Amino acid sequence: MIEVRNLHKYYGALHVLRGMDIDIAKGEVFSVIGPSGSGKSTFLRCLNFLEEYQQGDIRFDGRLVGYRETAGKRLRASPRDIAAVRTRMGMVFQSFNLFPHKTVLENVMEGPVIVQKKPEAVVRKLALDLLEQVGLSDKTDQYPSKLSGGQQQRVGIARALAMQPEVMLFDEPTSALDPELVGEVLDVMKALATGGMTMVIVTHEMSFAREVSDRVMMMDEGLIIEVDRPEVIFGNPQQARTADFLRRVVH
Amino acid sequence: MDYVWHFGVIWDYRMVFVRGAWITAQLTLYSTLIGLSLGLLFGLFRSSTIAVLRAPAAVYIEFFRATPVLVQLVWIYYSLPILTGLQLSGIASVSVGLGLHAAAYFAEIFRAGINSIDKGQWDAARSIGMGYGQAMWRIILPQAIRRMVPPFINEFATLIKLTTLGSVLAVYELLHEANNLINNTYRPLEVYTALAVAFAVLIYPIILLSQRLERHWRTNS
Ligand SMILES: Nc1ncnc2c1ncn2[C@@H]1O[C@H](COP(=O)(O)OP(=O)(O)OP(=O)(O)O)[C@@H](O)[C@H]1O
Ligand SMILES: [Mg+2]
Repeated sequence: MIEVRNLHKYYGALHVLRGMDIDIAKGEVFSVIGPSGSGKSTFLRCLNFLEEYQQGDIRFDGRLVGYRETAGKRLRASPRDIAAVRTRMGMVFQSFNLFPHKTVLENVMEGPVIVQKKPEAVVRKLALDLLEQVGLSDKTDQYPSKLSGGQQQRVGIARALAMQPEVMLFDEPTSALDPELVGEVLDVMKALATGGMTMVIVTHEMSFAREVSDRVMMMDEGLIIEVDRPEVIFGNPQQARTADFLRRVVH
Repeated sequence: MDYVWHFGVIWDYRMVFVRGAWITAQLTLYSTLIGLSLGLLFGLFRSSTIAVLRAPAAVYIEFFRATPVLVQLVWIYYSLPILTGLQLSGIASVSVGLGLHAAAYFAEIFRAGINSIDKGQWDAARSIGMGYGQAMWRIILPQAIRRMVPPFINEFATLIKLTTLGSVLAVYELLHEANNLINNTYRPLEVYTALAVAFAVLIYPIILLSQRLERHWRTNS
């Protein structure tokens, strides 16, 4: 479903992603781990073109993300094409990024109504269903600032799901949460995974990654160190850098 | 100090003040409208990632902030007709001049307001498929506007005061009317005092409003 080939990304002179090759299959739960600054967020943000990349291909259902190729030259895709790809991928942020001037329900309805131009009545029903699914039926008319971090992040997940995306991208969805609120967000994600959603999850929650992932990718310094089933990555890593990293985060 | 005040003359000539105030109000209104619309445009250009938009906006803003308003006004009044053949009335010249001047300040207020919004809001808007316009209009501006309103009001109050420069270009706003009145009554003390009080009464509530809003929004966010 997502094919990444020889992906390179620079911030000015800083070479952040240094040639990544990976395929992510439909229905797969794919976790990304690695030390701070290794490029995990950047990789995730390239997938829905929140960041440009300078070399290589990202293909989503076979179509190049963010660029079009004409006569061998690569040009930026039209804003409409870029937006179209983004609506097919939901994204959940570490800092939630809810719209503070809109209620919970309005946050969830914003994308389908304004971007996808779906009828409001239909969207309202969908949004209420999603909010029930994440356990927030009683908060629909609240403003985000009145909610706990865990509740805000569940709204963030509902907002992304409201676009009815084919893939969900999570960038450390629980890192900003108090420890006692992490569980409620992970439970929602587990339910999504069980329901067959394709998910790419950048996380520091190793036991969660181990439990829900089909595969885990270890990154360091903009490179893929190894990709394997969670039993292998966490039980018997093949690369010294993976073993070192895991030893450091566990202790 | 045995000056005998004769504030009676102010009352006798009250219509002169009303007339002047009306022109002052017009100048303020027109220059605010010009300043706001151009200011929004330049503010957006200035914070754009596109260099051909950003650079001219930056030059414009810095130029107008680095030159005296009075110089800008007389330049427009005397030079524009010669260069373009466009003969503007005094009121139009002052409105355009103050409007162009205010645009530079409004642009900076817009830019600062837009920049003050967390980058994560752009990410979230773009991640649900919004384009620049939709994200700006529905997500960024509604949040930024709160931070812009107090400085806008201050700039508006400044504009009211700046309209007095119109007297130099023979525009019959408050100060000009007051000067004429003095020629008739020989009562500069009363007339100028009344003028100052009139402006204070006009402008102080505006500044107060701006401070109130600022405090209100700071405690409610
Ligand atoms: N907007 C930016 N401009 C310049 N450099 C950036 C930018 N964003 C990230 N970087 C740099 O790119 C590198 C990779 O950053 P990235 O955020 O992808 O790492 P990460 O693996 O997600 O780290 P963390 O675990 O701390 O979130 C870092 O060196 C970072 O400083
Ligand atoms: Mg990160």
